[in-house]
Amino acid sequence: MKKLLSLLPVLCLTSTASVAADIKRGQDIFMKAGCYQCHGTVGQGANTGPRLAPEPLPLDSFVSFVRNAAATSMPPYSANMVSDAEMADIHAYLSSIPKPPARKDLPLLNNK
Amino acid sequence: MAEKNHTGVDRRKFLTVAAASSAAAVAATNTPQEAKALPAAGRIAPPSAAEMEAEIGEPRLLPTAVTTAGPNARPGSDFMVDVLRALDIDYVATNPASSCRGLHESINNYAMNKKPELLTATHEEIATAMAHGYAKVSNRPMGLLFHGTVGIQHATMAFYNAWADRAPMLIMSGNHLDAAHRPPGVPTTHAAQDPLALIRDFTKWDDQPQSLQACAEALFRAHKITMTPPYGPVAVSLDAHLQEGFTESNLKIPKMTRVSAPSADMDSLKDVARMLVNAQSPVIVVDRGARSHRFQPLLVALAELLGAPVVDQLGRQNFPSRHPLNATDRARGVIGDADVILGLELADFWGIVNSYSDVAQPKQGRRLKDSVKLISINSRDVFMKANYQDFQRFQDVDLALAADAEASLPGLIEMVKSASTPEHKSAAEKRTAAASAAAGRSLEKLLNEDAVYGWDASPISTARLSAELWAAIKEHDWALVSRDARLSNWPHRMWNFDKHYQFIGDSGGAGQGYGLGAAVGAALAHREHKRLVVNVQGDGDMMYGPGGIWTAAHHNIPLLTVMHNNRAYHQEIMHVQRVGNWRDRGVGRASIGTTLDNPHINFAMMAKSMGVEGIGPIGDPKELGPALKRAVQIAKAGEPVLVDVLTQPR
Repeated sequence: MKKLLSLLPVLCLTSTASVAADIKRGQDIFMKAGCYQCHGTVGQGANTGPRLAPEPLPLDSFVSFVRNAAATSMPPYSANMVSDAEMADIHAYLSSIPKPPARKDLPLLNNK
Repeated sequence: MAEKNHTGVDRRKFLTVAAASSAAAVAATNTPQEAKALPAAGRIAPPSAAEMEAEIGEPRLLPTAVTTAGPNARPGSDFMVDVLRALDIDYVATNPASSCRGLHESINNYAMNKKPELLTATHEEIATAMAHGYAKVSNRPMGLLFHGTVGIQHATMAFYNAWADRAPMLIMSGNHLDAAHRPPGVPTTHAAQDPLALIRDFTKWDDQPQSLQACAEALFRAHKITMTPPYGPVAVSLDAHLQEGFTESNLKIPKMTRVSAPSADMDSLKDVARMLVNAQSPVIVVDRGARSHRFQPLLVALAELLGAPVVDQLGRQNFPSRHPLNATDRARGVIGDADVILGLELADFWGIVNSYSDVAQPKQGRRLKDSVKLISINSRDVFMKANYQDFQRFQDVDLALAADAEASLPGLIEMVKSASTPEHKSAAEKRTAAASAAAGRSLEKLLNEDAVYGWDASPISTARLSAELWAAIKEHDWALVSRDARLSNWPHRMWNFDKHYQFIGDSGGAGQGYGLGAAVGAALAHREHKRLVVNVQGDGDMMYGPGGIWTAAHHNIPLLTVMHNNRAYHQEIMHVQRVGNWRDRGVGRASIGTTLDNPHINFAMMAKSMGVEGIGPIGDPKELGPALKRAVQIAKAGEPVLVDVLTQPR
């Protein structure tokens, strides 16, 4: 899976970053920057942070939120810590995560 | 013995010379008899023959009843066993201690290790956590038997957890108070003038009786106090000379009486009922409400009479997780919309009705409508102490009833029935219908939109772990004896908790090292009911006291432990990250001092080393179901078992 992800660079064009975003690099930054601590390694969310994947906010909004998160309990990340290009990589990683199976296909979630 | 001879000889030589010199000086002017009859002003009278003998002769035991066996005398600690039996204490958890050897021997050879039975713990903190978990399942105190100094010091944090969580327990510790008779060396190093001073700020009561009769009375008083709401630990120092001495004549074991819990007065309950039935949006918030099986049906009855959503803080199993009025997942919304909030045994009323953002410049705010009325029924208002701040921020309320909620609910229910008109009942039915619809939507959203994400992830998601575990246990008579907040509360969101014993809350004081010990103690209380007991165990917490695994194996306590092995103190990682972000210094080094990897800890191997079947580590979610199925079979056969699962942080 990791190999597959690394072969899938995607092009992200935004007002803040115009780079060839790299999914694998985004995954690495997502882990190193500690995003996974609150949001889970595949952005699935937890009681510590909301779900992010596979449909994160549009990149502009995503970056803006992370930079100005002081209005929430999330600590803000400045460009010193995660650059705009790295934010684009993270966004690419989150967008690349496959959609989960439907609940109807998961007996464990239908068997009360 | 060598040390005793050394100090004794020196002291005797000194006293002999001093006494001889003094006598010689006096003899120069008076006869000894004259000097004794008429001591000169400013002169010291010479010692009598008896006093000389007492000072320079061989040491002799004082002729007291406790060290001399009379014709019908028994060991003092045998009498202590009789007292513990009269108090109906089934278990005493201990880490062995010389200052408790008298009582230890009596439990072994007089009680024949039955009622009470000794439970061997590898650390006093584990033993105390065992008593903590046991009490919350059985509604009875366990005894603890520790060294008076180092044992109490070891257990201190666990006592604080029990204090904050209002768990009853009877702490007994040894001491050698009498300096003239205690052994030198270690026993003296471990002796103290006031051995329980260390824990006085977070125990309800303590005593250091100086006779066996006083021991009996102290233990009975301690039992009464620990079992009177608000529950809390109590401690009695049982001096070694009383344990190892002999019984006096006419010893009496006090009468065992049941103590009633403090209930709210009927006039106050009438006022509460009037406010609740006239409310448009009443909400009940409950935390450590359930002391026994009686609470949950009472709360259901009250909520249904009022059509009031219930927000369960999960300090205990207070309210059925799938009841249509359970609004725990929608807490913020229903609290914000409420016009009357009834708080039952809340540990932190302020934190429920106010917000606090842990940001660089902390922000506080009120979550309520301006017109909201707050009512509190809380036994903590009956008894608290000043130093440690577990009583949380002060929240002003409109009605404060200093009373036990469980004891007060029957009266409140009757008052609500009396105050309710047909219009009130109709309004309650409408609220119930609305709440039921909202609860259904919330559950569907959880399962459709939240649980499925990360379903096949490795490390395994907490939703997947909880779903697999539920499938494995739900056909059995089960109980979860661990916190679920660190599983993103998935068990309470997914599972059907409808019996009071199925959940016991958290540590209370948030002191790490509680989890495994509490689970073992709780599992012991469940054992006689043959329940399938599940402990989802954090790895960080486990490493404080892994010896609990051995205790479960040694005492044949069935327990299914599932490791929530996220390989870090994740709460602390997030704190360090937060501060690094505030200071714009990055989070790249937040793992320093906060992670439990390099090397990874293999908990399955750890379990095996202590005689417990260990399965895993399991990182592939597809392997989890079969592993849990096998583990359930082992636990149902009466054995402890551990499944090591590599998990997502939360």
